[in-house]
Order: sequence, then structure tokens, then C-alpha cells
Amino acid sequence: MRFPEHPARWNVEQLRGELARGDAFLWSLERFRERATERLGVPSVAGLSEVPASARRLVVLGGGAMIDEAKVWRRETRPDLWLAALPSLFGSGAEASPVAVLNRDGVKKIEVDERLLPDVRVVWPELLEDLPPARLRAAAGDALSHALEGFLSPLADEELRGSLAEILAGLLALPLAPDPDWFEASAAACAAQSRAGVGLVHGIAHQLEGRLAGERDGAGFAFGHAKLCSLFLAPVLAFDRAHSPKLAELAVLHGIDLAVLETRAWQLFDGEDYSRCLPALEANWRAVLLDPCTRTNSVLVRPQHLAFFTEERFR
Amino acid sequence: MTNHEKLRDLIIDTFLLEPSEYSLELRRENVDTWDSLGIVSMAVGVHETFGYHFTPDEATGIESVADIVRILESKGISFAEG
Repeated sequence: MRFPEHPARWNVEQLRGELARGDAFLWSLERFRERATERLGVPSVAGLSEVPASARRLVVLGGGAMIDEAKVWRRETRPDLWLAALPSLFGSGAEASPVAVLNRDGVKKIEVDERLLPDVRVVWPELLEDLPPARLRAAAGDALSHALEGFLSPLADEELRGSLAEILAGLLALPLAPDPDWFEASAAACAAQSRAGVGLVHGIAHQLEGRLAGERDGAGFAFGHAKLCSLFLAPVLAFDRAHSPKLAELAVLHGIDLAVLETRAWQLFDGEDYSRCLPALEANWRAVLLDPCTRTNSVLVRPQHLAFFTEERFR
Repeated sequence: MTNHEKLRDLIIDTFLLEPSEYSLELRRENVDTWDSLGIVSMAVGVHETFGYHFTPDEATGIESVADIVRILESKGISFAEG
């Protein structure tokens, strides 16, 4: 597969070997901290501000937001530090991307800088054990949205589009189960889309995730970025198809089976959770229209298109 | 709907303008949302509406609505009606 370059993939044993060289620290999600400290053999810090000046190596173990925080902190504070990104879950692809999405005072800020790339990305398949199905579907929606929206982006050239088509087909072939291959495929999707941009699914997710903070979906989880991507993937797919032949034409050109894509998108959809998001979507539609991701959607998104997303069939 | 009306609606929707703000003389420097991403959106909308793909040089060289009309007319898309 012609994946665009992204940081080398290591396993946990390789990481452990590097960390054994000394002056290494771990910044981890609390629920994995004890296990990771023991497995990696390094002390942990509770926050980036606690990383000692003597540190030469840092591992960040967490979701996309946490990895992005570490990437930006390393660039701005400790560019000499060796950084390993160990995602607790696939989907965001933050471990493989020169993009960082930061939440600053409730406003999403997107930075693209090659200096943000971690030195290595690490896959620890056992972290997927005990992953709730709802979290897995959300992560799958995030990964699929990266691949699909990058594939359709007006900024993608034909070579990149060909790579993204292969990545998309690979994602669609994976089961909706905790298969470690999701890590590789979602990392490739994120690395590739970072060279083309994404679209309306991400525009909606970026604008609503902060505004829905505190609310819970039907499974009891927050309406985070991945969840919103998984919820809006199918409706946006329907929107893109209804307003332009571009998706259908590109799918034929690149051998994407639209029926398989749509089936998977609807498997990730939940009408009740979607309905819970609609008031926020209606209240923030203008912000969605102005979001940088919306503005690189494959189809022009107009003010009156809000009505498409509030149709009864999606509820 | 005439091509002028289609273009007016496209510009208003793309750059989120009030209808009263639109004119053929409208210039890029007077529209906050007519930035680099606005150019991408506008190019997508022009292709959907008129079937013409701006080249990158054309898209970035456009400074006003009148420039859009001029390019599209040079490709055989008429704005002579009404």
C-alpha cells in the first residue's frame, strides 16, 4: 500500500528497550497509568509540567487530545525531547499526524506543523481489551471519516486520493471488533488526510464537541469528537451524494464499493443520539459553516442545508 | 434562474453575506470570509453550479465577483441574459 509517510510503528518491547536507555518518563491516562508504568519500566508524571528538565524521553499514553497536547508541548517547550505516542484507542490518528487540534478556552484551534510529529508511534493491542462496543464504534467512525473526507477533499491530488482509497478499502474490510489492525489503518488514514484536509463531518464534530460537554449519549459516554464523527458520517455521506455526483464518480474511479461504505456508516449511526445533537447543530450551524473543515468539504455547504440534517429520516 | 442569479446565490452562501452586500463589484479584500479556504469553497461551488473547475492560478487570482464572471464567460458560460 502506498501510505504516506508517518512515524515508525513500534511495539511495546521496542519501546521498552528504548526507554531502558534512561531519563524516560510516562504521561498516561489515569486508568492505564499503573499498568503502563509496570510494563514500560519508567516512572510516570501526572502532567506535562511535571516532566523533569533532565528527561530525554517521554511516552504519552492517551487519546487524541492528550497526544496532541504532548506534541504541542514538546515543540514549544522541549524540542530536544524524544517523544513516543502510544494511543489508548485507534481512531484519532494523532500519533501519526503533523496536525494538532487544541481546545483553547472552548475554541478549537488546528495547527499543522511537521515538528508536531512524534518520533515513533507505539501499538499496544492489549489496550483494546475490555473496550466497550460503543467506544469502538465511535473510534471506527473517526477513522472512517478521516479516510473518506480526505479522499473526497478538493485539496487532494490524484496520487494522495489513490492512497486514501486504498486506506478506505482497508478500513472497510476490518470487523467492528477490537482488532489491532485498526491502529495501523487509522494511523494511515490520519497521516494521509493531514495532507488534504477533511470535511463536514469534522466541521460538525469540532463545533459541537465542546458545546455538548457534560451531556451523555445512550451508552453513557460523552459526545466526544469520535462519537460525533460516527453519528454524522452517514448523514453527511447522504448529503454529499444528494448534492453532487463527485462521490459516486470518484468511488467508481477508485474501486470503492459505495454500498459497503454506506452500510458501515449506518452501522455506526444511532438515531436517538443523533436527535440529542440536533438542537446544538441548529444553534451552531453558522459556526459549522465557518469551520475550516466544513470549508474543504467536497460539496459546498450552504446555510439552507441545515434542513437536510434535521429531516425526520435521520431521527 | 439566470446565471447571474445563480452566481449571486453562490457568493452569498459561500461567504455568508447579507443579500444587500452582494454586487458585481464586490472585492475579496472587503469580505472577511473570502480567505484561502473561502477560495476552496467558492471553487467547489462554481464547479457544482456551472460545471467549470478553476485552475489553481485562476482561483487564487480572482479579486472580485466581476473576475469570476469574466473567467466563466471566457469558458463559454454566458452572463448576457437579463
